[in-house]
Amino acid sequence: MVNKTNKSTVHKLDDYLPIVGKNTIDELKLLADHLRGIKVQNINSTYSGGGVAEILNRMVPLLNQLGIDATWDVIRGDERFFDITKKIHNALHGMDQHISQEEYDHYLDINRQNLDILRPGGNIYFIHDPQPAMLISRKNETGGRWIWRCHVDVSNPDDNVWQFLEKTIEKYDAVIFSAPNFAHPLNIRQFIISPSIDPLSDKNIELSRSVIENTLNKYGIDPEKPSIVQISRFDRLKDPVGVIQAFKMVKKGIDCQLVLAGGTATDDPEYEGVLKDVMDYASDDKDIKVLLIPPESDIEINALQRAATIIIQKSLKEGFGLTISEALWKSKPVVATAVGGIPLQVINKYTGLLCYSIDGAAYALKQLLTNSELAAWLGKNGREHIRQNFLITRHLKEYMLLFIALNYQSEIIYL
Amino acid sequence: MAEWLNQNWVNIIVPFSVFMAFCIIGLWARRVIYNYLIKSLSRSGWSGQETIIHSTRGPIFFWFILFGAFVSIQISEIPHGIKDVIVKLIASIFIISIIWLMIILIDRLLTLYLNEFRGLKLPEKYVAAALRTTILVVGVLILVDFWGWPITPLLILISALILIAVVALRDAILNVFSGFEIAASRLARVGDFIKLGSGDEGYIIEMGWRNIKLKTPDQNILILPNSKLIKESIINYGHPLKKADTPFRFFTRLHLKELTGQKASYITDLVDMIRESPDAVIYYHTHHFLEEHHYLTPEPANDFSIWVGDALDEPVLSEKLANIDTLAYTSLSALKSAIIKTIEQYLLEKPDIKNIKAGREFNFVKSISIVLPTPFYASDLREFVEVVRKITIGSLYYHVFESRLRLQKRSNDFSVWFKDCLGEDDLADKLDEMVPYTYTLEALRSQIIQQIEKRIK
Repeated sequence: MVNKTNKSTVHKLDDYLPIVGKNTIDELKLLADHLRGIKVQNINSTYSGGGVAEILNRMVPLLNQLGIDATWDVIRGDERFFDITKKIHNALHGMDQHISQEEYDHYLDINRQNLDILRPGGNIYFIHDPQPAMLISRKNETGGRWIWRCHVDVSNPDDNVWQFLEKTIEKYDAVIFSAPNFAHPLNIRQFIISPSIDPLSDKNIELSRSVIENTLNKYGIDPEKPSIVQISRFDRLKDPVGVIQAFKMVKKGIDCQLVLAGGTATDDPEYEGVLKDVMDYASDDKDIKVLLIPPESDIEINALQRAATIIIQKSLKEGFGLTISEALWKSKPVVATAVGGIPLQVINKYTGLLCYSIDGAAYALKQLLTNSELAAWLGKNGREHIRQNFLITRHLKEYMLLFIALNYQSEIIYL
Repeated sequence: MAEWLNQNWVNIIVPFSVFMAFCIIGLWARRVIYNYLIKSLSRSGWSGQETIIHSTRGPIFFWFILFGAFVSIQISEIPHGIKDVIVKLIASIFIISIIWLMIILIDRLLTLYLNEFRGLKLPEKYVAAALRTTILVVGVLILVDFWGWPITPLLILISALILIAVVALRDAILNVFSGFEIAASRLARVGDFIKLGSGDEGYIIEMGWRNIKLKTPDQNILILPNSKLIKESIINYGHPLKKADTPFRFFTRLHLKELTGQKASYITDLVDMIRESPDAVIYYHTHHFLEEHHYLTPEPANDFSIWVGDALDEPVLSEKLANIDTLAYTSLSALKSAIIKTIEQYLLEKPDIKNIKAGREFNFVKSISIVLPTPFYASDLREFVEVVRKITIGSLYYHVFESRLRLQKRSNDFSVWFKDCLGEDDLADKLDEMVPYTYTLEALRSQIIQQIEKRIK
């Protein structure tokens, strides 16, 4: 059994006070008074890498500070197990995947081998994503409430894989999806809890002018020229070529620059082809910067976002798209396509501009580049929208509300 | 004996006559002086005049007798050694009478002035004992000095004791003096509602010689040292307003989104599903934006309106749905009927509304409300307005929106309490007349505060 107790990035609850205000912190404490001492065991498949580990790293210590006995464990598996769960993950996203009976058996076997990870006497067993989902088989022995936290968009899954998972999932007491349109019909209670960003993380923390300038110098970006920035890996679904096309339409009338910055997606077989296409499209324009940002460069990503005039996210398909929340938190006007979780973050014409095509993206970019008041108003609203709805404190509150709500069937619960 | 009297009668008669003369002058002076004092002190209007007049009436005559005795002894033929002793005794009696008078005056004036510090619960007997002791010590020192005995060691001892006491009790002394200053300056009185620069606030329920007790809006008792009160900026809102028999308890409401599993792809599906939806679903889709986007002006419309506009591209129906006056309905079922009627009427005029693309369906969500008591209570409008300043948006939302429509009360919670428990019908009506849906929640909070402040000014 592996248990995670702390990490250097742990913040105190009161560190968030200047950001969210006393009322929000008091509300969390008031709520936690009704949950004091309950045992919550989080289980996922990795301590590092990916959004789930990132959020648990911060969430578990905060729950502990509120008097909840929260722990975090990871299941162990071999390479084959993780290859299979990767296939399951892709299949849930709607990709056509063939998973053999042997592979299903191996997946079940690894879950069985990890059953001893479960701590007896828990009140809540909080299972994240499909990898450890089969641990539910021990529900009768452990008792407590079981929650499956689905971080994946399962609205249009591969039928075979879904049928395999569905019976198991329905043994849980509840499932959590990140957005209403990520859900799939199930015969158990389904709650909507959006993911969140941490305003105190390297990705979002306030930066000094010098840090931003150093980053711009490093990547040869002109600090004086308006910049349009898209931060995402070089993947066709992020439509980097579409972004360049929209930029070229804008540049005919407005002098500006485009920054496409992303990490290397080495696990994506199409990655090199996409990058080559992007380079080809960008080669004739010195105002287009294609940046390959190494991993663990959160401060640099933060600096690029803060230096941007507009942030664009022209994805053809998207998960929740928390890069939008990161951009809005920095008070940046955002142009984004209405896919995945983006419309929850960009309320069209209130906290940003939504688009559905390359022309739409170009039109929105021109509007924002020529109307700085509109851009500032959207940015200001965007920051407030994130403060209210997409910071870790809201996430924490909703998890605690869920722990309470699981014990009631009524729609109004008086504590 | 007869011979001695014959030889010394002058030496006896003269001092005796002088003594008797002083007695007569004393009787006369007491009447004249007191008539004068009564007249002049009456004009001054000083409340201590009675005390002064009654306390000194006896001693003044007694001092004339002592003075008469002193002069008589001085002019008599008594041997010098005996004369000195008698004079010193007379002077000592005079000093003792002064001390006795001062103690009486202190007792009476203290009673008078402590009554003036209404509400300041001072330990009268300790203060009086301290002052009595001080006067006695000073008097004894004067007498000792008068008789020629050394007083320096005594003075050193007393000074050292005083110094030790001052160091040990410096905070207490500071608080006691601050207490006097508060009472004397009428800075605050028992019953006043005060708010300190530090944010502490509440009704003063007790003013002591060292500290003040406040009853805070969350029903806690806050003990503040008097010296802190003196140092801080204070807003004194004055005496309590009309108290309600039943205090207002503030609750807050947090909500969780639960999917119903229903999705509408067509406008007809939307109508059917709205018809089948429980109140919690209608409530969510017509209200959640108020809380989630409360910082936006203008706030986005309800979810049905947005979906019809964005996903179905039907701006006219979208506007019709946005324009439904939520405040005109006292129940969610009535509001639901209005939404259905609006869509159905539109469909009669334009039945060929297009379908939407996959992925843009309308997902029906219901709101699970978790209602928690906060520590805040209010028994009158002053307490109420101070609590309204600090409650969360969720609390404001619960009492203004949720109670009226979802819990089917006839009005918002605040108006109901103003009317039923305080008899503040006008204020209740003013709050009722406000259209809360047209404000951001912070603007709504400001409006409520303004209305109450106007009423209690």
